[in-house]
Amino acid sequence: MKKILLLITIILSTSTLFAYDFIHPMGGRAAAMGGSSVASQGLWALQNNPAGTANLEKISLGLYYENRWMLPETAYKCGAFALPTKFGTLGVSFNQFGSSKYNENKFGLAYAKDFGRYLQIGLQLDYLLLKIGNEYGSFRAVTFELGIQSQVTDRLTLGTYIFNPVNFSFEQTLNHEKIPIVFRFGLAYKFTKDFVGQCEIEKNTDREGVSLRGGLEYEAVRNLYIRAGVQTNPGILSFGLGYAIRFVQINVAGQLHNQLGASLQVGMIFSIGK
Amino acid sequence: MKRLVLIILSLLAVSFAKAQIAVDTLSTEALNQLLIEQVERLAEDSDDDADFEELLDNYIFFSENPVNINSDEVMQLVELRLLSVFQYEELQKYRRYYGDFMFVDELEMVEGFDEQTLAIIKPVICIEKDKSKDKLNLKNMGRYGKHQIVGRYEQILEKQQGYAPIDDSSLLAKPNSRYLGSPQKYQLKYTYNYRNKFRAGFVLEKDAGEMFFTDKVSDTIQKLLGKNYRKGFDFVGFHLYAKDIGIVKAAVLGDYQLSFGQGLTLWSGMSFGKAGAGSSVMKQGRGITPKGSASEYSFMRGAAVTLGGGPFSGTVFYSNRWIDANVSVADSLDEAELVSSLQETGYHRTIGELQDRHAIRQQVVGGHLAFAIAHFEVGYTAHHTWLSTPLQLKPSHYNQFYFQGQKLTNQGIDFKYVKGKFAVFGEASMSYNPDTTAFQTTPRPAFAGLLGITVKPAGYLNFTMLYRDYGKTYQNLLGNAFGEGSRNQGQRGIYLGVEAAPAPYWNILAYADHFQFTWLTSQVNAPSRGHDYYLRISHSFNRRTQAYLQFRSKTKMKNSTDAFVFSHYPIFYTKNAVRFNINYQIGHDFHFSNKAEYAHYRNDDGTNEHGYFLCQDIAYKPEDKPFSLTFRYAIFDAKDYNARIYAYENDVLYSFSVPALYGKGMRFYLLGKVKLFNSLTLYARIGRTIYSDRDEIGSGLTLIEGNHKTDLKVEMIWKM
Repeated sequence: MKKILLLITIILSTSTLFAYDFIHPMGGRAAAMGGSSVASQGLWALQNNPAGTANLEKISLGLYYENRWMLPETAYKCGAFALPTKFGTLGVSFNQFGSSKYNENKFGLAYAKDFGRYLQIGLQLDYLLLKIGNEYGSFRAVTFELGIQSQVTDRLTLGTYIFNPVNFSFEQTLNHEKIPIVFRFGLAYKFTKDFVGQCEIEKNTDREGVSLRGGLEYEAVRNLYIRAGVQTNPGILSFGLGYAIRFVQINVAGQLHNQLGASLQVGMIFSIGK
Repeated sequence: MKRLVLIILSLLAVSFAKAQIAVDTLSTEALNQLLIEQVERLAEDSDDDADFEELLDNYIFFSENPVNINSDEVMQLVELRLLSVFQYEELQKYRRYYGDFMFVDELEMVEGFDEQTLAIIKPVICIEKDKSKDKLNLKNMGRYGKHQIVGRYEQILEKQQGYAPIDDSSLLAKPNSRYLGSPQKYQLKYTYNYRNKFRAGFVLEKDAGEMFFTDKVSDTIQKLLGKNYRKGFDFVGFHLYAKDIGIVKAAVLGDYQLSFGQGLTLWSGMSFGKAGAGSSVMKQGRGITPKGSASEYSFMRGAAVTLGGGPFSGTVFYSNRWIDANVSVADSLDEAELVSSLQETGYHRTIGELQDRHAIRQQVVGGHLAFAIAHFEVGYTAHHTWLSTPLQLKPSHYNQFYFQGQKLTNQGIDFKYVKGKFAVFGEASMSYNPDTTAFQTTPRPAFAGLLGITVKPAGYLNFTMLYRDYGKTYQNLLGNAFGEGSRNQGQRGIYLGVEAAPAPYWNILAYADHFQFTWLTSQVNAPSRGHDYYLRISHSFNRRTQAYLQFRSKTKMKNSTDAFVFSHYPIFYTKNAVRFNINYQIGHDFHFSNKAEYAHYRNDDGTNEHGYFLCQDIAYKPEDKPFSLTFRYAIFDAKDYNARIYAYENDVLYSFSVPALYGKGMRFYLLGKVKLFNSLTLYARIGRTIYSDRDEIGSGLTLIEGNHKTDLKVEMIWKM
């Protein structure tokens, strides 16, 4: 009993320092480009800014694993599926952070629609599940996320993304802990046909300060992409490669943090369709 | 011939562009953007709830009553800083060579009129060829005159401490612990305008907390207030204004503002000060202007007239106005009354505020003489103020040279020379206070002066330099010249500003201002110094997409708050801020905007404070429908007031809000506009701030128990 009380005290006393990790840039491309992803398109946009899936042409399925700090306890696992239809793109996604002792799970149901070239809007309903050990049980919450993208010129795409805009909380927890609001916006700029730069700013209400992210991508050989990026707060340098063959895309990335060391990311996307 | 072809080609290009995009919406956007930036900077500079309404009334006025570009009225655009003096010169040159403008788009031919300028001024100009409408007679006035009624209601929906119920005895024990009135604010404004030549209007206002017709207070309080007991509209003002009738250049009866020269001698009302862009630190006095707004501080009430002929013009004015002040009986033997401070807020909500209401009478008489030829202008201004009760401030070191006593005389000479790519301007002013104080036993005149130069060596480059030296004993109750802070007293400084367009679609605006206070100021126990640096880089990706990046760093001295030192000596404090802003239009109807701002403040103990702000704005303004909607979602995180963020918000017409956000939380608002009939427009706005780091908001009378604060505004505009 004493032990449980102690544990509860520790959890409670650290709860103000605690940050949830439901929202994290997913996909090998984003990981290699310093986490910048709010103005990019493709399947992983389901996790990063659902508006980016509005123009998806193929039925796609993706799997992603991030070995954060090379610790299985802080790994991300992620899966996504998107189905383009006449009325817009439908998507489901799942991601998990943590291990069996503690994990955060997010299930999403997304819909994205294209309103001409200038405007794409995406909406995702989320079901969040927080599992702490065996004795402490699990906590559930529902929230949503919204995204906008706009290709304002041939070169420039702007994007905005908000997770949990109305600040829902885990009602069953002792402190009715707030789920963080994550707000990011940024741009992607196509310098040339094969050279893209991205940057964005993100505010997560669970964290001090803001995070700035930027990345570059160069298509060195046809279908082979070289990427690099920087992120602040936490300060991370990242690098990566991407290769696309007919229906498979493979993206790998490595990230370096000064104190915490390296992280590795691997993602695959399978797509079928014209 | 080449020129003709060029003109035709450009005109074609212009009309083609017009067909493609909605020029109108774009242009008002550009003007709005300009105002937003200026108001934001003004809010940052003024440190308190400044009343922008009056200042911006003029801009809205001209967007509804455009000036004729083929007349001298264009000067008013220079006065409003929408055009630079150089552009004005070029415009007049063009008209001298080619005659009157036939189309507004012809302006593109004038040197120095870039796309940005055109976008800004298009909504406030017109071309009027029919001179017959100009004749001032009753028939024309009835036919072409415009009436407008604006009614507005606003309220904070949460209950504030000042409105909580209280019984009489507790209220009498602590008389300023409650507002006597209701939490609603009402304003009613009527204006009539006949082609900017004849204007009339009145304004009625009741601020939140002031007593309205339906509010009740007990007899004891009523007795306590005596003649200051007052219900209904707290502020009532009117004006009658006419201009250009024979030799009468302008005449006004009622409430008005005066502005001459560089504002050092006489500039009642507000001005943009440092907030203006580089070249516009040179002020353009507007002479007499009617005051239609409900701002309750700093204006003239009485009559004024400007007569002119040839190069000469002269103005005389008289103002007689009751102002709020804290009056106390200084000596119980002879019961001499003294004023310990002037109240400048215009609020009369508590017993204390009501007791100070209209406590003393301020009379001002004065005049201005001007002589203007082609490129040169010189003016002489003099005015004399006297108060019905002498002002005697609570003695302190910092305020010993502030105005005290009963009478004050100011005189000044201003000049301006603008030719080609060069302008030089300045003003010298003198004040004389006949009353002696403990510190100044023999009355002596005091001096202040400023001198500035603007050069435009090339079309894309504009450079301004301004030097000011305001004596530490210089006093003026009606001045508002360029400077750091609101007082033109005890200050020296040099300002350098540059505006440049280094490449197409790129603009740079930068300034540096170094200043020195030659005497102590409030909370600064020694003469001090500081500097203010500003840089803004803006870029247009295309006609629909503009972005800018802005840096600002301001260092000032303030007393150290270190508890362990015996004497509080001043030390340097720096506030830095970076902002990124992007506006883009999607299709015809959607306007999006993102803003990110970071503010940093360094404390004297070496600790740092950080403030962050991010927002998304969405405006839906369909061209062919009678309504529009504007929405903002923002989050902010600034632990301390020192790292606060000022964020301009769209508001109902004629109203402006720039809340200072600090703490941690989010804010959103929704603004709707609907045109019910051709003549009737309705606005409504609801905004809410939700804090995640506190359970009560504000303090004292404005305290709200709870973590959210909601503001509501409804406005009705009726035009005929």
